[in-house]
Amino acid sequence: MHKTPQVNEVNEFIEIASDFEDPLEVIREALSNSYDAGATQVDISIEQDAEGRNTLIIKDDGHGMDEDDLSSFFDLGNSNKDDAIGYKGHGTKIYYKSDKIRVETVTDGTRIESVMDQPWAKLNNRELPTYSIEETESDEPSRTRIEVHGFRAGQGFDPRQLTYNKIEHYIKWKTIGGSTAWHFGDDFHEMDINVELSPTIDDTQDQIETDNRLQFPPENRHPEGEFVAEEMCKHYPPRELTVTLDDGRELTIEVVGMVGGKEARNKLPTYGKHSAQFGIWLAKDHIKVERYNDAIGADNEFFHFFFIANCQDLELSANREKIRNKSGDVYQAITDELNRYMTKVCQDSWYRNYIERRKLENKQRSIQSQGSSLEERLQHTKDQGGLSPSNPAEVIAALERYSANGSPETLEIADFRLDEEVNAIVDTDEGYKNAALQAKLSDFFENETPLTHIDRFICWKLGDRDALTKIERTSYLGKPIRFDFSNNEVTYGDENKKTIPVLELADKV
Amino acid sequence: MVSFDVVAEAGEARRGQLQINDRTLETPHLFPVINFYGGGNEGALFGGGVHRTIKEFLAHDNEVTGGEDYSDLFNGVMTSISSLADYGIREKKLEWYLDNEIREWECFSDYDGMIFADSGGYKILKQGGLEGEDFEKDIDQDKALDIQLDLGPDIVVNLDHPIHPDDEFEERIEKMEQTAVNAARFAERRDEVDGACYLTVHGYYEAMLERSFDLIEDELAEPVPEAFDGIALGSLVPRKDNVEVLVEAVSDCKREMQQRGYEDLPLHVLGISGNAMPLLVAVGADTFDSASYLHQAINGKYCVNLFETVPIDDANFDACECRVCNDDFHRARMRNEMDDLYQKDILGSVAAHNLAVQQRELRKFRQLIAEGDKERVAEYLEEAVKDQKGFRKFAYQLINERINPYFEETDTTYA
Repeated sequence: MHKTPQVNEVNEFIEIASDFEDPLEVIREALSNSYDAGATQVDISIEQDAEGRNTLIIKDDGHGMDEDDLSSFFDLGNSNKDDAIGYKGHGTKIYYKSDKIRVETVTDGTRIESVMDQPWAKLNNRELPTYSIEETESDEPSRTRIEVHGFRAGQGFDPRQLTYNKIEHYIKWKTIGGSTAWHFGDDFHEMDINVELSPTIDDTQDQIETDNRLQFPPENRHPEGEFVAEEMCKHYPPRELTVTLDDGRELTIEVVGMVGGKEARNKLPTYGKHSAQFGIWLAKDHIKVERYNDAIGADNEFFHFFFIANCQDLELSANREKIRNKSGDVYQAITDELNRYMTKVCQDSWYRNYIERRKLENKQRSIQSQGSSLEERLQHTKDQGGLSPSNPAEVIAALERYSANGSPETLEIADFRLDEEVNAIVDTDEGYKNAALQAKLSDFFENETPLTHIDRFICWKLGDRDALTKIERTSYLGKPIRFDFSNNEVTYGDENKKTIPVLELADKV
Repeated sequence: MVSFDVVAEAGEARRGQLQINDRTLETPHLFPVINFYGGGNEGALFGGGVHRTIKEFLAHDNEVTGGEDYSDLFNGVMTSISSLADYGIREKKLEWYLDNEIREWECFSDYDGMIFADSGGYKILKQGGLEGEDFEKDIDQDKALDIQLDLGPDIVVNLDHPIHPDDEFEERIEKMEQTAVNAARFAERRDEVDGACYLTVHGYYEAMLERSFDLIEDELAEPVPEAFDGIALGSLVPRKDNVEVLVEAVSDCKREMQQRGYEDLPLHVLGISGNAMPLLVAVGADTFDSASYLHQAINGKYCVNLFETVPIDDANFDACECRVCNDDFHRARMRNEMDDLYQKDILGSVAAHNLAVQQRELRKFRQLIAEGDKERVAEYLEEAVKDQKGFRKFAYQLINERINPYFEETDTTYA
């Protein structure tokens, strides 16, 4: 006996529709369908009523749908396209997350109107929704209009979040609207795209008018001026890379891209973080899917690059968000070849010159800020009336001055180590002594440095004498301590008292 | 009689013929390092473990070669006077070794390749001389040349004082000056040499090399090309894994030679072979020497190509085109499937294979240069480094900047 596995259709519909996490994917699917239908113009409008319900309207002048096409529009996994973008029959199922779907389409003298009521509510009630079909004759040119009422928004369609900028970026980065096919003369046709949002969603501009070509900002290879690296831009022309797999299969990777500074990149509709948008994109159907920034290597920063590498041998997940065949030899071969290609780009003289120029300009900027910081320091020095040590090195300078100007004792630096607690060895009339040099004596005690090996304190000022008194009244590292400033010494310890002379330079230099 | 003729060029790479008396060497060429004297006696080809096996290949010992002629691997070999004392021999033995020139021994009488005798500067100066079981000999330029000439060489080189990347500036100058003094003394005795005299220079980049040449020229009584037949660039061994440094050193040395009018002299790169070789040929190096083929074998490594080695047990002989791997006799040896095999026999065949891999690449390169098409040279280099992730960028950089740019200035998307 043989049995056929059963499919729970309701669950499958819910599953596929839910698989689209970002409601903006509705725009991607609409544009792909219109493109597949040969449309040269597609208009998308998104409206929101007072209750916050969204209505999507997608109109195109493509070849329209007959009854079979309409079936595959509503059916699951039953696409009648074999070499087009939507060959899986999943995309339009995102429309099921709504209160009503209405389709009006004209093809070959027939106009079909079709309505599906409450698809999402019915699916969640465990029943399959149905759709009506009404055919009439028509002499209109072919077209399609899809209305999706009460589209289940989710985060992405929240009126506070949905803006023209966001949509334009999405179109160029994630849909056929950002196609690079036109560089390669594949069977590409141009399609104008208009998107209009109701004023309640975004009233900052009239509408988006674009087409389905990803255009890089104009080249600017050798700009003149002092700070121009950010404006530099070079296009890397379309190249077809071919790789032969072990089994003899040949893959073609169509790669095109640009390198540019931030100003140049900002001419693209990025509207946000460059770190998430630039680098090396892998694409299928000339729609970008995932980035593969490893191709750039660790020596280079990926955000300078915007390259799109299209390969029809990539296999995608149902929602087109991920590449599915990453563990196979196809993906390996594609990424290997991309690594090679990007290494060439990174060794291009122009690119190296661009990176060099950025570096130089950054140095130039730091010289400028150095200049202003020096001005501040000079003002501060003038206010202080000359040397006023704030660090041990300056204390050394003060000590040298003190020694040179007839100090009563010999006191010369013999060794100095900035990072050591006992940071100096000084040559004195009594031989070499270990010394602690500090701008303020109180800083030394705040750091709770042991006194065991210290023979001398040398400081610019005593610092916070109240803080020293406080230490005196408690103890220092468990032992009594006394600061005798009239005799310039510190006495430390209980039985074996140790006396450490203190030299305060401020009033001696 | 010494001459060096450039017969073809492709970009900066050149193919040449080095003619010394009646021997001719096609360049680019790799001189494998051979220890002719390894502490043993003549019956054992003077011994030396794996070195001995290699000498058995060179001397057509059928028991080791399986009856095949492998002399094409040894058209020119490098040997160093410092290796004479590698095996802790007694002075008497050393004298006996030096009584005859290499080719005067019966066992080497058939060997008709070139012998390049290195002065062993690096090792000799490190040890302070030649040190055996019962002797210590201070070696200066004259003594070094005496020993070199005792070997009956085709090419000799002055005793040099190699520099080191960690040298202080003053230390480096001192070494260069000593090398220059040696070079001048060496030039004074060139009439005693029945072959080619090479001059050693040292430096990692142009300014250093400029100084090295200047110091030598100041010491010499005549122009470099009149005193010497070739230039040997030394001191690169400590940087052998830094291909960027190697390429810069060789190409700057070439530039320095051109500016001084020595571009007709062959350029030898001391102690370097392996994966950097194609890139160095591309920037104009003519000959190399190295013992890496042997050291790899001694460490149980089998070369898959210039870049990769695998443990000998993992080697796939079917994937190799070399004659060693296509001979069942050597396969059985390398797999240790024969009776009474010594380690030196197993590893000797591996060393011969490793050397064959390197020589094969240079042979390919010679053919490419002969076609005179620099684009083919670029293609060859690109193919060779295809899967070498870390190494690739240096090769691509070289191709891009010096052979054939990947992206022309005129190349534009919207042309």
